[in-house]
Amino acid sequence: MFFNSLSFALFLPIVFLLYWLVFHKNKTTQNAVLIIASYYFYSCWDWRFLFLLVFSTLLDYFSAIMMETSTTDKKRKFWLWLTIGINLGFLGIFKYYDFFAQSFADLLHGFGFQANPFLLKLILPVGISFYTFHGLSYVIDIYYKRITAERNFIDYSLFVSYFPLLVAGPIERATHLLPQVKIKRHFNFEKAKEGVYQIIWGLVKKVVIADSCATYANAVFDNYESMNSLSLLLGAVYFAFQIYGDFSGYSDIALGTSKLFGIDLLKNFNYPYFSRDIAEFWRRWHISLSSWFRDYLYIPLGGSQGGMWMKVRNTFIIFLVSGFWHGANWTFIIWGLLNAIYFLPLLLQNKNRSNMGDIKMGWDFNSIKTISTILGTFALTTVAWIFFRAKSISEAIGYIQKMVTDLHFDSQYLSNERYSFELLFLVLVFVFVEWFNRSKVEPLSGKASWVKVTLAIMALLALGVYSDYKEFIYFQF
Amino acid sequence: MKLFLVFIGKILLVLLLSAFALDFIYTTVFAQSETRNKLENVINSKPQQYDVIILGTSRANNHFVSELFEKEGLKTFNYGMSGSHLFETSLLLKLMLERGWEIKNVIVETDLNLSNEKRDDGTFGRFMPFLHQSKTITNHFANEADFTELYYVPFYRYIQFDEKIGFRAWYKTLVNEPTNALANKGYYPLGFNPKANMKNNIANLVPLRNRYFEEIKHICQANHINLIAVTTPMCSNVKGMDYFKKVKALYPEIKEYEHVVEDDQYFSSCGHLNDKGARLFTATIIKDLDFKNE
Repeated sequence: MFFNSLSFALFLPIVFLLYWLVFHKNKTTQNAVLIIASYYFYSCWDWRFLFLLVFSTLLDYFSAIMMETSTTDKKRKFWLWLTIGINLGFLGIFKYYDFFAQSFADLLHGFGFQANPFLLKLILPVGISFYTFHGLSYVIDIYYKRITAERNFIDYSLFVSYFPLLVAGPIERATHLLPQVKIKRHFNFEKAKEGVYQIIWGLVKKVVIADSCATYANAVFDNYESMNSLSLLLGAVYFAFQIYGDFSGYSDIALGTSKLFGIDLLKNFNYPYFSRDIAEFWRRWHISLSSWFRDYLYIPLGGSQGGMWMKVRNTFIIFLVSGFWHGANWTFIIWGLLNAIYFLPLLLQNKNRSNMGDIKMGWDFNSIKTISTILGTFALTTVAWIFFRAKSISEAIGYIQKMVTDLHFDSQYLSNERYSFELLFLVLVFVFVEWFNRSKVEPLSGKASWVKVTLAIMALLALGVYSDYKEFIYFQF
Repeated sequence: MKLFLVFIGKILLVLLLSAFALDFIYTTVFAQSETRNKLENVINSKPQQYDVIILGTSRANNHFVSELFEKEGLKTFNYGMSGSHLFETSLLLKLMLERGWEIKNVIVETDLNLSNEKRDDGTFGRFMPFLHQSKTITNHFANEADFTELYYVPFYRYIQFDEKIGFRAWYKTLVNEPTNALANKGYYPLGFNPKANMKNNIANLVPLRNRYFEEIKHICQANHINLIAVTTPMCSNVKGMDYFKKVKALYPEIKEYEHVVEDDQYFSSCGHLNDKGARLFTATIIKDLDFKNE
């Protein structure tokens, strides 16, 4: 069941009505409805993996209590590492085992040995990377005594399996979500209205922007050898907007859906393509993952406390792990590495926190400078996305090589029976809409909201891609 | 909560009104176009007379050179449509007759498409703007599983087939941007492709006693049209060529031309002749067949 499917359009109002009209008496009944709905939502993908989710929930729940009640540090450490080990073990088996086995066999082959690795070829349980990190943050917080262990199993289960964030985040923190599920929610019209606006805008991002860009980006990437410089350039830009529209659209729908139930989730995107440097980009892109790595990996590794060498080492670790988190492929690792390299000059010059404030624009030289830094950051990001999108490193290198050496800039007719430049106008309109609304969560609220909602709905109907159905990219992670 | 339900009601109303408005706008534009594809060219046509009409898939579209028929004094148009199935071919013939066309001979490519009675979504989608305008189209599609939503839900058909009749097609129709679909009297010549895959495997295909071919036969008989059903050439490296023997066993009246051109130099891909091959094939066919002339 996808957020942009008809089944979700039926599921959501049913759960909403049950939640607010039938089981609204206290927070336990409210939470019970949400848990049942969440388990149903998850089982729509593959009911067998529901057991994994329940097991992960039970493991983290009991480990946290055991950790809290342990009298010695040794026992606390034991429970922490047991939970981390089992959680990462599952993630490793389902997501990374085949990659490591194959990479090791390839390495042996490079030395002249023949190896036929035993591959598991398992289906990746949807959302496993998200709910594993979700649970890990909870047990680590318990270990460091930042929070107390949750004794109410229903509340804890909802924290782990809450359907708006279950399959692709945002990766929530116990300190943010648990207090909200521990109290009875009261219906708030303004919050619910905000939620609806955010859902509509998220759908526009996904169905109109991401899926349109996907048809063009796929046509270019799948045939990059026969493409010219202009098509390859446009293909990379289209993919940049595909992944942004896809993932931030998903996050908007998740946040909007959650608001309908009176629960606020962590903001996951903050107009990342308007970043003035790569450090700012990472403060605006997939915020819940970036901050997770900061809090649970970068800081425990020493963060920026141990001098420049330590900072550089930790930064590279964070980006490489972040790349690897996305998928078991060298392309993701190189994508992470590239971002680390982009980040390095800022770190060495201590400028990684120089663009923290809002973007101020006027009719002056500084504004021109700001726009050029935004465009420069976007260009760097787009080059890195080529590695993210390509099937292999050699394909990505071949793509970039052809893009910079072909030097033909005439419009090409693509395999999706469209000219390569045709989508550019839609992308530019989208950029302008986002630019002029960058101080808001979504552009539909505020003045003339009904006009904007009508235009968004018309765009969804007329410009959306429906026949060539595309899943959310981040579901595979 | 009451306020919210009213708010949702308004959103749904906007959705419904937008769907109605867009449906009206799209249908109006598509209904007036007759030059962007063969289908609308038929639907929006006035009565006309033809000596030969060619129907079928891309293996008709790329194989029958209308110009060579015309040289023989036969007024011809090639209405072969890439990707189409006999389901749509039959409907196209019905529409021609509904619009008062007088046709003496119909050549139908009946080979690989005999194995399928289902619709081809790409071609089917192109009929959708006209769903409410023609009883023939409505009746032909009435048994489709999604007919109710396609017929009654405003704009649903444009969403469902957005690749063919979505915003882009609508815009290009609005500005009257021409296509090459009607050039060369419907024949689309293919070039020689040195990198083409000259292999094919049709071993899994099974010809059916196809209800839409039966329908075409019935229509032709009722309208005194000389129906010529033919198979068309395949390259030499095809696995499962006994398919054509099964076709012959099922329909002895289908004329076999799958072997008349075999050399790879005449093909653009294994199932499609290039222009040189198509001319050779058409010349053979014209010499071979008897056309009704009065």
